[in-house]
Amino acid sequence: MKNEIQLEIESFLTFKLEEETFAVNVEKVIEIQELRQITKVPKTPAYMRGVVNLRGSVLPVIDTRIKFGLSQIEETVNTCILVLKIELENDTILLGLLVDSVQEVLELPSSQINPPPSIGSRYKSEFITGMGKINDNFIMLLDIDKIFSVDEIVSVQQTLAN
Amino acid sequence: MDLFKVKFLNEAADLINNLEESVLSLENNREDGALIEQIFRVMHTFKGNSNMFGFDKIGEFTHHLETIYDLVRAKKILLSQEIVNITLFSVDHIKNLLKEDKEQNGEVLAMHTHLLSAIKEIIGKFDENKIEHTVTNLTDLTGGKMNTFHISFQPNKDILIRGNNIFYLLDDLLALGEGKAFPKIGNLPGAHEADFTSCYLEWDIFLATSESESTIKEVFMFVEGECELKITCISKDCNSFKEDKFFKEASGFTLFSNNSVVENLLKQANEKASMPADAKLSSKTVLSNKEASNIKVSSDKLDELMSLVSELVTTQARLSQFSEESKNTELNVIAENIEKISRRLRDNTFNICLVPIGSMHTRFKRLVRDLGNELNKEVNFKVEGAETELDKTIVENLTDPLLHIIRNSMDHGIEKAEDRIKSGKPANGSILLRAYNSGANVHIEIIDDGAGLDPEKIKHKALEKSLINEEDKLSKKEIFDLIFLPGFSTAETVTGISGRGVGMDVVSRNIKDLRGDIVVESTLGEGTKITIILPLTLSIIDGLLVKIEHTHFIIPLSAVEKCYEVKHEVFENNFKELIILDGEQYPYLYLRDEFNLKNNTPTIEQVIVVKNNDKQIGISVDSIVGEYQAVLKPLGKLYRSVQTISGATILGDGSVALVMDINQMIKQHSIQYKELAYEK
Repeated sequence: MKNEIQLEIESFLTFKLEEETFAVNVEKVIEIQELRQITKVPKTPAYMRGVVNLRGSVLPVIDTRIKFGLSQIEETVNTCILVLKIELENDTILLGLLVDSVQEVLELPSSQINPPPSIGSRYKSEFITGMGKINDNFIMLLDIDKIFSVDEIVSVQQTLAN
Repeated sequence: MDLFKVKFLNEAADLINNLEESVLSLENNREDGALIEQIFRVMHTFKGNSNMFGFDKIGEFTHHLETIYDLVRAKKILLSQEIVNITLFSVDHIKNLLKEDKEQNGEVLAMHTHLLSAIKEIIGKFDENKIEHTVTNLTDLTGGKMNTFHISFQPNKDILIRGNNIFYLLDDLLALGEGKAFPKIGNLPGAHEADFTSCYLEWDIFLATSESESTIKEVFMFVEGECELKITCISKDCNSFKEDKFFKEASGFTLFSNNSVVENLLKQANEKASMPADAKLSSKTVLSNKEASNIKVSSDKLDELMSLVSELVTTQARLSQFSEESKNTELNVIAENIEKISRRLRDNTFNICLVPIGSMHTRFKRLVRDLGNELNKEVNFKVEGAETELDKTIVENLTDPLLHIIRNSMDHGIEKAEDRIKSGKPANGSILLRAYNSGANVHIEIIDDGAGLDPEKIKHKALEKSLINEEDKLSKKEIFDLIFLPGFSTAETVTGISGRGVGMDVVSRNIKDLRGDIVVESTLGEGTKITIILPLTLSIIDGLLVKIEHTHFIIPLSAVEKCYEVKHEVFENNFKELIILDGEQYPYLYLRDEFNLKNNTPTIEQVIVVKNNDKQIGISVDSIVGEYQAVLKPLGKLYRSVQTISGATILGDGSVALVMDINQMIKQHSIQYKELAYEK
């Protein structure tokens, strides 16, 4: 009986890209930085927006909208950089995600998380750990490590080489 | 792992290195008693430490090993090649044992049993032949195994007050062997001035003994700090009292000697010493109370310090920029001072992080020895400029590439002894590692006198593996560069050592990662010279800050030759891809095209002539901002594919500038416009 009472509650940070709401586990989020001048590194794909200075070290910044196949981000006062830590080849690296706006921190009990849809989604379902249900809206919970996994980057490098 | 264990492991690594180095030197100099002593001492310390920290296996193992050296030390068994080999294997084995996770590994365990039995066998042999050996031992004692020492003993005046009896001391000393003590009475005052509790005498003692220098030192243990003690070995392996006529006379000399006798003796000993080249004398001055004040610092702390200094330099750049804009003289003065101090702090920190190349020496020596045995090639390995210093990170990352190059030289370069003699070379091959500073770079050369590289063979092989095309016209240098391509290997037979074609490309990549360059020169039949050119440090460079569109770039100042102003139209419709500057033609890279930056092209652009080795090209930028001290930051894994940018740096205003890799840029350019590359 006890086990049933102990519900797993996970916290997520939600952000918006265009009209859609996404969420990442707060454990992955280091901080939120306001937008600043981004230095573009030549000969990199469009979604790799460039690098910024994060207290003395160099933080790569990804244009999340381009990465997800949406149009390039229009910079507004709400645009900001989500600093995440991701696992890449057994290393933990910091990565900045350029997002339209940051919404809130949500606590979702596991009962409110549905498995990712298998069809009919415009996003690759393997990058989504689940769908969070809030009232009647669904939020896509992103598997951030997978999105920027090596395979992804390697494939980008290969396209560049060709 | 607790703190003490970490400390033990650090210390153990040091001791093991020390041991390995001593054993290697001992191999070439088997009679060196001091070395054997040292090995014994190191083992003893190591055994003690291991047992204390619960590495019982190592402790037990070392104990047996130590027994051998105890026997060697006591001259009860001769130091055979077998013992040297076993010791070296044991060193490797102990290294393995120290990695705790490996301790239970089957292979390691098998090795353990094998070595242990080998060691016990050696000790066992001694036990069987004990009596016989003791006999020879006796002859040893009276024979040539004695060293003659000169001991200069100058007690402080108050040594008597402190309750020491110098005569007991001298008795103890003379009991070690055959000897003679000459008091110096030069300091003796007149009878009415003398303080009878003071000691005015000094002694010169000549002692022929089979004991070691440290045993002699032990006699003086209790008066350490109360005297000046100098022990010099004046004659190795011989009892001067017996063999030397003058010493014989001296030993009969009983009067209060004056200094001239002692001087004569010393002079004579020195003359003798300078005669035979192989009888090197060890002269060690024991300076009481004065020790070189070195401390050990963990490299993590140094890295931390380095990164703090880097941050300071960045912040200081910001401050300088701000103070210039503010036009506040007082602030200007402060900013300038801070700049001065941070520059000095930077230079000092760099200095701390430098380590001599010689620190890798032991590993190379060991490799050459082991490979020499395995391949049956005798190779003399020499190091010149071992004191040349490099940033410790570079040295750490340099060991593997260098090991690989040496391995290659041994395997492919140096021929078999009989072939060498046929081609008129000495039977023993030689490999020279030479390091020196050149400007802001350090050059490391590995020179062997082996067979050299055959350009035709390399070309053939490259064609076979379709790394090049039949019609490619390659210079000799370009052919040699082919060996750095992945998947290239000329060795007809793949040996366990090299020849699998994974190697030189890895070497080349490792060197590139260190922002270095590697050049091969070779003459067929005469040998090969591989030169590695490395920057002194990895973290801060002097650069030229330039701007293209809105992006700032840093060009390493060491690569910059000249800067020119050029009208934009020169670049338009320039089919020859050449630009004329000061009457000379230069190939160029138009970076706006290269980097895909196409907006707001200025009418006047800047061309910076950069060079790398023998190649010069011009690169175009919008404007030159000025000189800048760049703290290099890695761009990280995501940008690994970008070759022309080697890193980034943070500018005074907090924005990021990208650091160009000029080597890569020139290389890419010559791939694109091969025939045009301008050779100077």
